Amino acid sequence: MSKEKCSLTGGKEKRGELVRSLAWQHLVKQEEEEAVKKEEKEEGEDEEEEGSDSSSDDPNPEPPCMHPDLLELVVDREKCRKIRRQYRQLIYTVQQNREDIVNTASDTLSEALEEANVLFDGVSRTREAALDAQFLVLASDLGKEKAKQLNTDMNFFNPIAFCDLLLLFVGFNWVEEECKEFSDCDDSIVLSFWGMLHEEATSWMLQAETFHFIFGSFKAERSARKPRLGCHKRACKMEGSGDMPTKLRRLDVHANQETTEKEVERILGLLQTYFQKYPDTPVSYFEFVIDPNSFSRTVENIFYVSFIIRDGFARIRLDQDRLPILEPTNVSQVDDESDSYSYCRKQGVISLSLQDWKNIVSTFEISEAMIKNSY
Amino acid sequence: MSVSPPGHMLQKTRSRSHPGAQLWSPSDCCPGVSREIARASGHPDASQDTPGTPSPSFRQVQATSAPELWTQKQLELKVAELVQFLLIKDQRKIPIKQSGIMKHVVRDYKNIFPDLLKLAAERLHYVFGYKLVELDPKSNAYILINALEPVGKDGELRGYQRTPTTGLLMIILGLILMNGHSIPENDVWCFLRRLGVYPTKKHSVFGYPKKLITEDFVKQRYLEYRRIPHTDPVDCELQWGPRANLETSKMKVLKFVAKIHNQDPKDWPTQYCEALADEQRRVRPEPNGPALTS
Repeated sequence: MSKEKCSLTGGKEKRGELVRSLAWQHLVKQEEEEAVKKEEKEEGEDEEEEGSDSSSDDPNPEPPCMHPDLLELVVDREKCRKIRRQYRQLIYTVQQNREDIVNTASDTLSEALEEANVLFDGVSRTREAALDAQFLVLASDLGKEKAKQLNTDMNFFNPIAFCDLLLLFVGFNWVEEECKEFSDCDDSIVLSFWGMLHEEATSWMLQAETFHFIFGSFKAERSARKPRLGCHKRACKMEGSGDMPTKLRRLDVHANQETTEKEVERILGLLQTYFQKYPDTPVSYFEFVIDPNSFSRTVENIFYVSFIIRDGFARIRLDQDRLPILEPTNVSQVDDESDSYSYCRKQGVISLSLQDWKNIVSTFEISEAMIKNSY
Repeated sequence: MSVSPPGHMLQKTRSRSHPGAQLWSPSDCCPGVSREIARASGHPDASQDTPGTPSPSFRQVQATSAPELWTQKQLELKVAELVQFLLIKDQRKIPIKQSGIMKHVVRDYKNIFPDLLKLAAERLHYVFGYKLVELDPKSNAYILINALEPVGKDGELRGYQRTPTTGLLMIILGLILMNGHSIPENDVWCFLRRLGVYPTKKHSVFGYPKKLITEDFVKQRYLEYRRIPHTDPVDCELQWGPRANLETSKMKVLKFVAKIHNQDPKDWPTQYCEALADEQRRVRPEPNGPALTS
């Protein structure tokens, strides 16, 4: 409470110091016995004690022969008894007015606590302190109840009920019967629900409507990219220089055309010419693509032929020796299932090392390239 | 109600060098400005100036600093530009920062920015029915709110111009109000799950609801999203943001909740008392005409 008590048994120690002689001790013993009897009587009958204590407020005058120290002791004991009586009275009153105290509008609990605070200032012994603790337990219990009472206003709002009422408000109370969950419903129903709720909500908000362009915003047309002059100048310079190899210069004239496309068309022309000359003889894939004089040209040829096959102008098959051969594609002549299956577009990756290339050249005895250089 | 156009609010002075050209200087809105400039340039008659008269100090301003002087037409154009900027920026409902206005619109007109803003606010109020409001004094950010009370069946006239998010926002504001001053994020999701809105699932109307609530509404300053201290695992809570307090009120949200429940707002005494106190705080004598409110 408000004051800290260093020692609740201070009264007894004080008394021990004061009472020294045997005579005084005898007197004190008598007084104590009387007090104990009186206390037992008080605790047994609260109502009677209230009546009898009214007379004890004005105690009988002590005999004139009593020692002043003993007189002080008696007064101290009377004071303690009075505090105990007031504590009991306070506890009784609080218990009687329990309902009034718990009421949120009432300040009775605060008043009772203030009263107990004042009483605690006079507490010097364990018995009074025990009564104070008893009151504190009661007060905290009532405080807890009062706090609960304060929160009940909040508890009136039930979120689950609010959710159901939202559906009811918008007129979607049938949703629960048809759909297990609202999320299972059709998108149009969901949009309709939130749309109606949005409409209702906007009437409670001062939201500024956003302005939009009537015919949409002006669409800026992308400006055509300016041709880069730097490259052009550089090309002219290079053409002028005499150090440049003839082959490259000739290629550079047609730099703006798609080289790959041109090369694919050229090789396709060669292949078709071969097919026209020898319509019944398929060409060996390796003999067609491999250039015995240049590994790099071989790789380029493989690259270009892959485009011809991808676009369906020719196809690769394995002959009886399980070696790849190139055939012209003619869909109308396809009869059996195996042929039609081979028409399905597939991808294959081949690895060709320099050693592999040398081995193929020697094994197939390729002396001349079928695909001649275009430059 | 006859409203004089912003041009009439400005004092017009005639330039001697360009007869007939209407010029505008900072002194018209801020009478002390021209005097300050003149004094700084050491003009002897600076102290005897009277605003509105073509005095030597005013001529001094004209002569020395050309950007300090603008024609009526230039000013009109700048105000129109500012109004357009505010309207376009408001489309995303994210508060418009003063720095953005300065950078994209005001530029050389920095010294008359308050006056430009005031004129733009007037035009927004009288032409569009909007109120230009400073979100909070320290933020230097502005928002547009409707100066006119919503009309019944207003939504039908407008049609849906954008995603109907106001309903979701109103529900969240209602939950926060009914729960006290804030609500744990988990409680919000528990509620919204019943309406088919999940934090992790893409919604057919709202897209990603978690992003909408914890990012978009927060950026728009409708909600405040903060971590609850000393929680493990980390839990966050939602509170009303400053924009929500400007566009609606606790009483309005309570009335919305009460309407859904088909009850009276007084049925929730705690919330009703809080809403009443909020209403009393709001009732302040407002100055005549539109002004920047904060």
